[in-house]
Amino acid sequence: MADTAAGLTVSPVVARPALPARGPWATAMAILLQNRAAMSALFVLLCIIAACLAAPLYAHQIAHVDAFQSNVDGEIDIDGTTVAVLEPNTEGLGLGVTPIGPTGRFATYWLGADSQGRDVFARLLYGGRNSLMIAGIATVICLSMGVLVGITAGFFGGLIDTGLSRLLDILWAFPVFLLAISLSVVLIHGVQLGPLSFDSGSLVLPILIISCVYIPYVARPVRAQVLTLKHSDFVLAAIGIGVPSARILWRDILPNVMTTAVVFIPLMMVMNIGLESALSYLSVGVQAPDASWGTIIEDGQGLLYSRPWVALAPGIAIALTVLCLNILGDGVRDAFDPRSQVRPG
Amino acid sequence: MLNTLVRRFAQMAFVMFGISVLVFLIFFATPGVDPAARLAGRNASPEVLAAVRASFGLDQPLPIQYLMMMKKMFITQDLTSFVNRGQMIVPELVQAAPVTISLVVGSALLWVGLSIPIGMLAAAFKDRFLDRVLMGLVIVGISPPVFWLGEITNLITQSRYHDTWLFSWVPPLGYIPFSEDPWGWFKCLVLPCANVAVLYIGIYARLLRSNIIEANQQDFIRTARAKGLSEWQILFRHSLRTSLITFATLFGLDFGFLVGGGVLLTEVVFGLPGIGKLTYESLRVLDLPTIMGTVLWGAFFVVASNAIIDSLYAFIDPRARHAS
Amino acid sequence: MKLRSLFYTGAAPLAMSGAALVAALLAAASAQAADHRGGTLHAVAVSSSGTLDPQINYTTQYWQLYQSVYDGLLAFKKTDGTAGTEIVPDLVTTLPVVSDGGKTLTVTLRKGITFANGKELTTADVVASFQRIFKISGPTAGSFYNVLVGADACLKTPDTCTLDGGVVADEATGTITFHLTDADPEFLDKLAIPHAAILPADTPAKDMGNTPIPGTGAYSFTAYDPNKALKLERNPHFKQWSADAQPDGYPDVIDYTFGLTDEAGVTAIENGQADWMYDPPPADRLGELSSKYPKQLHVSPLAAYYYISFNVNMEPFNNEKARLAVNYAIDRNALVKIYGGPQTAAPTCQNLPPNFPGYSAYCPFTKEGSTKYAGANMAKAKELMKESGKAGAEVALLTEDNTMWKNMGGYVQSVLTELGFKVSLKPMSHATEFTYIQNTNNKVQVSLTDWFQDYPAPSDFLNVLFGCSSFHPASDASPNIAGFCDKEVEAKIQNALTVAVTDPVKANTLWADVDKAIVDKAPSAPLFNPKQIDFVSTKVGNYHFQPVFQSMLTQEWVK
Repeated sequence: MADTAAGLTVSPVVARPALPARGPWATAMAILLQNRAAMSALFVLLCIIAACLAAPLYAHQIAHVDAFQSNVDGEIDIDGTTVAVLEPNTEGLGLGVTPIGPTGRFATYWLGADSQGRDVFARLLYGGRNSLMIAGIATVICLSMGVLVGITAGFFGGLIDTGLSRLLDILWAFPVFLLAISLSVVLIHGVQLGPLSFDSGSLVLPILIISCVYIPYVARPVRAQVLTLKHSDFVLAAIGIGVPSARILWRDILPNVMTTAVVFIPLMMVMNIGLESALSYLSVGVQAPDASWGTIIEDGQGLLYSRPWVALAPGIAIALTVLCLNILGDGVRDAFDPRSQVRPG
Repeated sequence: MLNTLVRRFAQMAFVMFGISVLVFLIFFATPGVDPAARLAGRNASPEVLAAVRASFGLDQPLPIQYLMMMKKMFITQDLTSFVNRGQMIVPELVQAAPVTISLVVGSALLWVGLSIPIGMLAAAFKDRFLDRVLMGLVIVGISPPVFWLGEITNLITQSRYHDTWLFSWVPPLGYIPFSEDPWGWFKCLVLPCANVAVLYIGIYARLLRSNIIEANQQDFIRTARAKGLSEWQILFRHSLRTSLITFATLFGLDFGFLVGGGVLLTEVVFGLPGIGKLTYESLRVLDLPTIMGTVLWGAFFVVASNAIIDSLYAFIDPRARHAS
Repeated sequence: MKLRSLFYTGAAPLAMSGAALVAALLAAASAQAADHRGGTLHAVAVSSSGTLDPQINYTTQYWQLYQSVYDGLLAFKKTDGTAGTEIVPDLVTTLPVVSDGGKTLTVTLRKGITFANGKELTTADVVASFQRIFKISGPTAGSFYNVLVGADACLKTPDTCTLDGGVVADEATGTITFHLTDADPEFLDKLAIPHAAILPADTPAKDMGNTPIPGTGAYSFTAYDPNKALKLERNPHFKQWSADAQPDGYPDVIDYTFGLTDEAGVTAIENGQADWMYDPPPADRLGELSSKYPKQLHVSPLAAYYYISFNVNMEPFNNEKARLAVNYAIDRNALVKIYGGPQTAAPTCQNLPPNFPGYSAYCPFTKEGSTKYAGANMAKAKELMKESGKAGAEVALLTEDNTMWKNMGGYVQSVLTELGFKVSLKPMSHATEFTYIQNTNNKVQVSLTDWFQDYPAPSDFLNVLFGCSSFHPASDASPNIAGFCDKEVEAKIQNALTVAVTDPVKANTLWADVDKAIVDKAPSAPLFNPKQIDFVSTKVGNYHFQPVFQSMLTQEWVK
């Protein structure tokens, strides 16, 4: 829901010729490396990613659980007493079954069990792996597509521009969540794309949906930037002396657009993580028994009153990841946005 | 001017048409979506199935079905649901609209009212303690997913601490119309509005801060400073004023987006029967007429706010007139 | 008497006491009853259930309400326990007089009954109501009422439906004669469900949607907005003619609001803001409720079951041994645990629910030598699996996409995996799953689903779910999801249907045999019979659970 806003706060980078002596990339990287807040955020982010990648290690070596098999009749040993993972209520009328809560022991059900008796912490790690992977791949696809469409529309103009722009208009005006949910509802049953067939459980589907939805958010500012660049003095001069378009595109336009794209990376990650979790929360994203942070929140919603940690933990994980990405994103923008270089200090 | 308006309008109509076709095609591409069997009932005989299919026009070719649906939606306004037989779509939308509008207006008041002072203070105290604290709070505020924040709000106010003095006033989830009980209406909207606003306060305060800082470096501000105006005077008279143009632009777009159904998740979490919840419910049961209605409603607001902002922009900033 | 609500014990002392005591108690009860007349019952539900038209609506939620608004010619007795499955005359004076080998039924309309709009009920209303079933293409027109003479023509061209020769009325004597093409042992049940409600003859022949149609019952719908609320108030023209069929109610008004989540519903009842909720309390709150408010909870068994349906015409479950292996391997107790614990559901191996007509306990899929269900028999399952040679087959399991179904799906998936199948779980939205799994074009191998009775007759489970006549390939309406059409079983079903016309008692033993035969061929894996959990406020008294239409709201005291 932050989407329009977040997307728009990045103003297209103003046209400028590439700096000759020290490349703009090197300059920007140097600025970024000196930004303590951004570097700390990056560090925390890397820790989260590392933890998520270690999910199988935790599940098999430390907790000895299968995070994807239901464990309804499972029992665990806590200080010598055997405890059922799902304990039927014995008080009053004896209605209801409650999963075990956080045990406080890192190696056994640290954050408790979900309503199928599965280890929430193990699922949190696996879920993070999926959430980050989906958001990451979707970001790459979305940015490449967005940049491609933006440059094509902006540089070639004419009928191509009109066609692409109208298409973008439609996608843009289609309320994001509605578009994503409607696409998911269709695709959730699996999809056949020519020779490629994706089954309903496949992670490819949420990735595809998420990458499509935000294309206009990248393509529109890129197109605007290309338009400005096309009319800038140095491009006009290049055209004047007869430099071929491909060369102009490659030498003058692409590098400038790339800095915009870089500024977009953390932002798109934030938006994609948000969209993925929302879709999964509405059960049209990642499908059971696979997990993502969004699906765990959905699982936890049914246990919110008796076992709030099932929903709390993935929410905190998302918030922390997004926070780091936002801080990193500020750093990247400060480093790559030339206007911010004017700022003293 | 008239020419521009006509062109704008044609563009809007085209986008709306494109969206409705898209929704229609997406729906019919979905496997297992044929509404006839669901309308007919759980062990309908093949004859009844065929009769129901015919009576809803589901045996017609798709373009005819599309035209029929559009006619029923806009001209006769008697489009009915595919799931709840007899449920009229247009009145349903009219009923849901005030809920969404109340929610969005409420949160807009909150976020505009709070983000302006926060952004100004942060800009005024740039890089000092207050700035860091405010910007820190704000960036934490925009990080959690909005539906999760809503769930946690519910956990705290409806269950864990509902019986304490702090939250005993919180009404059960749901909506109370203003006409029935203004005070109840207010109470049931406070928390949802705050939830939506948290995110936007963050975005707008950050935006305003950076815009003011940028404006401060412009020549006319330097001139003002040289003339001996105090920092606060400069802030209010010049920097804020120029910065508010971007602020207002963005506000227009976001407002349109939210009224158009962008508050879907908040409405779902807080059980508010607005456009977003209606969309969500109809998507859950794959009720094409309702989906069509809500999506067009949403698209209309997005497109309209875009058009209005663009036109206003052209009015304010002559440079933008030539941009496109 | 097993169907009686567990917590309703009012009948027990009456049965044990002497006649005098009975009389005294009855007198006291009626005096007390008069005191309880009046007040408003506040009901809540997560959502409404669509059209208010009783001849179209096919949901438990509204069928429950129709009981006190509309009358059919016959009715299920308004009482709890198995007595509630008994059919009694409602708008007619006696049960139908049957002749012509069950093909002709004659009834006489009661005199002096008026609709809520003040018009008197006549035989013309009855004829028009039966025509209307077809004119509006009612959901059960082709499956329930197609036995009427003239129904074929009506199904073909609904607009010109007359049912000529099928429903014959004599206005002077008030008699109505039904002529059937074949004897139908369940025709009486079909007359007692809301689709055969008698409505004014001038009711338009279209789905009336949100506009209430006047009925003859003790209450009428006075306002309906599916997104907000439904209101029932006393029918001013109502005079009680049969307490068994259409008893007068206690509350003056029933205010039914929609849109509250089930969590919020529970909280509202705890705080006394609402008196009853339609939806079962969320699993998360059951523990809290059963410890804190045991007196406000009513748990009653439902005539329903959850089951796995195998597609017997597709790999790998065209193999009977593979199906049996799954039946042996599934631990029904585990699924009961997921559903909400042993007090909320009972494990089962068979298709008919306990205490249903024709039910005879049968459970082969458990530990050797046990007649009651005592956990899975994995050894036997693995043995069968080996014999089937289907290990390694790929299987997609369909289920609904809400949490409880997904959890059950997850468990079944684990079991199938343990048996050696390669399983993927496909959750689908509630709205589409039920029709999707029925259509053979969708090539569904195995699915999780449930079935709730329409009326208490064994064929409603056995014939509808496993009879050849309810298997329609390539159609979304094919309730025989398994595609099971076994010659032997079908012959048994047809025999039971024929015998039922003349000898219902004997037919029930035949149905028990059919049930057993189906269990042995395993086109399904029955899992458990759920129970209804009603949570009411402290204000509510006189709770009764009618086994066909659930709790009787208008009989509850709120004063």
